[in-house]
Amino acid sequence: MKEPKTALDMYRMMLLIRRFEEEAARAYSLGKIGGFLHLYIGQESIAVGAAHALKPTDSVVTTYRDHGLALARGMTSNAGMAELFGKVTGCSKGLGGSMHFFDKEHRMYGGHGIIGAHLPLAAGVAFASKYTGDDGVTMVFYGDGSASIGATHEGMSLAALWKLPIVFVCENNQYSMGTSLERSISVTDMSKKADGYGMAKDRFVAEDVFEVRDRLQVAVDRARRGEGPTLVEILTYRYRGHSMSDPAKYRTKEEVEEYKNRDALNRLRAELDAAAETRAELEALEASVEAEVAESIRFADESPEPTADLLESTTYAGEFAR
Amino acid sequence: MARVVDMPKLSPTMEEGQIVTWHKKEGDSVDVDDLLAEVETDKATMEFRSFDRGTLLKILAPAGAMVRLGDPVAVFGNAGESTEGLAPAAATKAPAPGAAPTAAAPTAAAAMQSAAPATPPSPSEAPLVAASLGADGRVKASPYVRKLARERGLDLLRVSGSGTGGRIVARDLTGTTPATAIRAIAAAPVAKSPVAVSPAALPAGREPTIKPLSMMRRTIARRLTESKQQVPHFYLTIDVDADALFELRARLNADLGRKVSFNDLVVKAVAVAIGRAPEVNAQFTPDSLIYHRRVDLSVAVAVDDGLVTPVLRNADQKSLLQISEEIQALSAKARDKKLSVEEMTGGTFSISNLGMHGIDEFAAVINPPEGAILAVGAIRNEPVVKEGVVVPGKRMKMTLSCDHRVVDGAVGAKFLAELRKVLERPLQIVAS
Amino acid sequence: MKSMRVREAIREAIAEEMERDERVFLMGEEVARYQGAYKVSEGLLDRFGEKRVIDTPITEAGFAGIGIGAAMVGLRPIIEFMTWNFSAVAFDQILNNAAKLRQMSGGQLSVPVVFRGPNASARQVGSQHSHAMEHFYVNVPGLKVVAPSTPADAKGLLKTAIRDENPVLYMESETLYSVKGDVPEGEHLVPFGKGRIAREGKDCTIVSYSRMVHVALEAAETLAAKGIDCEVIDLRSLRPLDEDILVQSISKTHRAVVAYEGWPYGGVGAEVVDRIQRLAFDELDAPILRVTTLDFPMPYNAKLEQHVVPQAQRIVEAVESVTYRSV
Repeated sequence: MKEPKTALDMYRMMLLIRRFEEEAARAYSLGKIGGFLHLYIGQESIAVGAAHALKPTDSVVTTYRDHGLALARGMTSNAGMAELFGKVTGCSKGLGGSMHFFDKEHRMYGGHGIIGAHLPLAAGVAFASKYTGDDGVTMVFYGDGSASIGATHEGMSLAALWKLPIVFVCENNQYSMGTSLERSISVTDMSKKADGYGMAKDRFVAEDVFEVRDRLQVAVDRARRGEGPTLVEILTYRYRGHSMSDPAKYRTKEEVEEYKNRDALNRLRAELDAAAETRAELEALEASVEAEVAESIRFADESPEPTADLLESTTYAGEFAR
Repeated sequence: MARVVDMPKLSPTMEEGQIVTWHKKEGDSVDVDDLLAEVETDKATMEFRSFDRGTLLKILAPAGAMVRLGDPVAVFGNAGESTEGLAPAAATKAPAPGAAPTAAAPTAAAAMQSAAPATPPSPSEAPLVAASLGADGRVKASPYVRKLARERGLDLLRVSGSGTGGRIVARDLTGTTPATAIRAIAAAPVAKSPVAVSPAALPAGREPTIKPLSMMRRTIARRLTESKQQVPHFYLTIDVDADALFELRARLNADLGRKVSFNDLVVKAVAVAIGRAPEVNAQFTPDSLIYHRRVDLSVAVAVDDGLVTPVLRNADQKSLLQISEEIQALSAKARDKKLSVEEMTGGTFSISNLGMHGIDEFAAVINPPEGAILAVGAIRNEPVVKEGVVVPGKRMKMTLSCDHRVVDGAVGAKFLAELRKVLERPLQIVAS
Repeated sequence: MKSMRVREAIREAIAEEMERDERVFLMGEEVARYQGAYKVSEGLLDRFGEKRVIDTPITEAGFAGIGIGAAMVGLRPIIEFMTWNFSAVAFDQILNNAAKLRQMSGGQLSVPVVFRGPNASARQVGSQHSHAMEHFYVNVPGLKVVAPSTPADAKGLLKTAIRDENPVLYMESETLYSVKGDVPEGEHLVPFGKGRIAREGKDCTIVSYSRMVHVALEAAETLAAKGIDCEVIDLRSLRPLDEDILVQSISKTHRAVVAYEGWPYGGVGAEVVDRIQRLAFDELDAPILRVTTLDFPMPYNAKLEQHVVPQAQRIVEAVESVTYRSV
């Protein structure tokens, strides 16, 4: 077993994300979470692999399918679940909700609801790193559904032109809501877009979290050396619908089952179970994840709600302008 | 341990669903995310996937059952566990075909209730509203002018407005209305009647005096024109024997040391008569007839420029002396132009007396929104027949103008009959 | 005091703030080597170098987003739109990122970015290049919007904007760039939320901002000759809006006309009217009238453009109406 300690850490985080998302889905069905809820189930290896390729002083930005990345970067499950429940103890004080997880301390800059619009934002974060010379790298995640919209193109175009220290990670889960990839885009190999910008690229399937980490590391190091952005397309799958209101009738049950059989989480667990040194840790590890997630539900249930006096100070810094 | 599983919310708008098919049987082992059942909701057929790992011990809501959110659908636990005491009353059976969801009904009923028209406020509750019900007294003035009028106690009915549409504006209060504006107002006609054409050149001293319309004249013109155009007037006259009344007044004035007028006596008599024939104390609205309980009498008072009708409130609850004093006070205020809007609005019945001007009989114009007005003539000395013999007597004619939409002939007649009774046996006036 | 043009005042503000704070940089189309499409940034590239004065390709959504992202992590970008009309393609970035990041993050983040550029009508530039864009933005909580009309205010408001922790939209005017005026020496800052009395008067208040202040002053001269003494207010700050100056003035004059560029439906002028009628109702001797751009897209033909754009004569007529001179 290579890197047993790291493997256990990665497994714990992937399992934590998986169980967090499953419990969030249950809480949603009980009416404790409202609005939109986009689950990361099946894509955990990307967030966790990425977190292990980045330094704490690097930055991340992602779409509204953001719980996994936030947890992987160090947000507590308490702060996450409380945010989903709309409580003031949530990471965004209950004002953002599922789509707007932000954690400034861990340089997780959202959590964005408008497709593609966060790519120029991420390019701005990378620009600031280059401007100040702080050696930081920014990693921005987007889905296959974001590949065609204007802001995505403008963000990549400027990042490539100015050789910003940024890595663009396309989490290609083959569907943008109900529309399959081949109905969305003329060239389904998304990594080829990099050629148009003269950007480095990579493309692989996310079955092994170590592979995710190692290949993203190449891109991160390239950015840190000042050689400009990389577009990394990672093929993955979400086992649930686009969000809680999606019955996902656009794919067959057989297709979903097939992808579940290739689940990176289960694969890693099997490897850990096969090695004696790590097998012993599994039961305690899994129990601690269950306890952590259960605690986050209790914490969220019992936390108070935000009050109206928060509204003014979170709209403007300083005096409210009307 | 065994526990009941309830129907969860499978989509944001789901409130209930019908179980189409169970994909697991009692006794099957179930993993997280396994498909338990398909449930038809208002929007689509949704997949009910398991949140738990365990064994499906018992199905509580079979295929075809209609289940609301939170209703029990199954019992989960470890294989072989007992479900004793955990299976509550079974879910409702499949409803008859075509049954509408119950959620819709209460809202529809509520909607129908709220659609019922609101009753208009009665003038007694909101005297100012009565004023602005398109009738009298609502002066067009800018907010700034109203503020100044409040502060200085000005009566805006007395002021001519030179602003747009006759609005009273600040300069009208300071007397700085430019001459051009005054001429413009004078030229603007109140009604669309043709202006009388005068001959081309008039000799000196024969030019007419042109008086710009004051607010009061404009108001009188508008209201009374509307009244004659829109209210179907009819008229009932009685000729009352005023001997006893005449004698009572003489005695009161001698005994009380203050003068009570015939009009004071008539006003009180009217209040008493209304108490006995209240259907005349009414008004017409497009939706309903309003029968007032309060007796607020509008008493016509002649002033410099025209006529105002201050309101004597609760005339039925005041003594003759109180009425006399109050009418005197209101008349003085009217002549000094100091009446407030509240003092001029909200009456339920009007009285106009031209007896002191030598008029024998006349028919007055109803003051909208009131339903009737009583016109009182002079007391006449003339030969009358009493017990078959011609003797000198005193008679007084009064004519009731009625709004036929709310006061019919019989109603008006009944009131006049009661009024005659009170006036011809006038001790009732001081006794009430 | 030093006499200078609006263009120079803006340039001085940018240069002083860039000198004072290394985090400040200027980004936009043609700002660097071209020396600025309207020569506002002339000389800044030479003085501060390519790292801090940055030319962009035509990518408004892209570079607006970069400005917002950089501000989010602590820099102080000045993002220039060659004209505010072009901000329309970056509207999502301004509306959904600049204005919202603070609240979506529960107050963790702030966005100290300044967007600036020329706004409203120019001469015969047609319907797509003549918008008064401030009306779309004042509606949004989270943004601040300012519009100077003099060199002193241009400098003072821009310095305040750059130092503000919130996104500020700074509206210039192409026709004002050459206007001269006195600017105080030394550090000169103008606070937000405070209007300025451009002309004192007692008969009627004319409320205006940006280029239209000068048109209002012209109308006030015409009216003075007719015996009507107007007070002209230069709002300067649109969001936050100075209510107190409005109430004080109308309490004195009792009549108001609001004159500005922009279509009549809604917008800054309608907001001014609401504040006056709500806060000074008892002081009004007449309804409040607005003199605005006529409700049509801007035509190219010169005479028709002058017909559509609000002119001094229309202000004169409005004032005569509210003072009942024309009854």
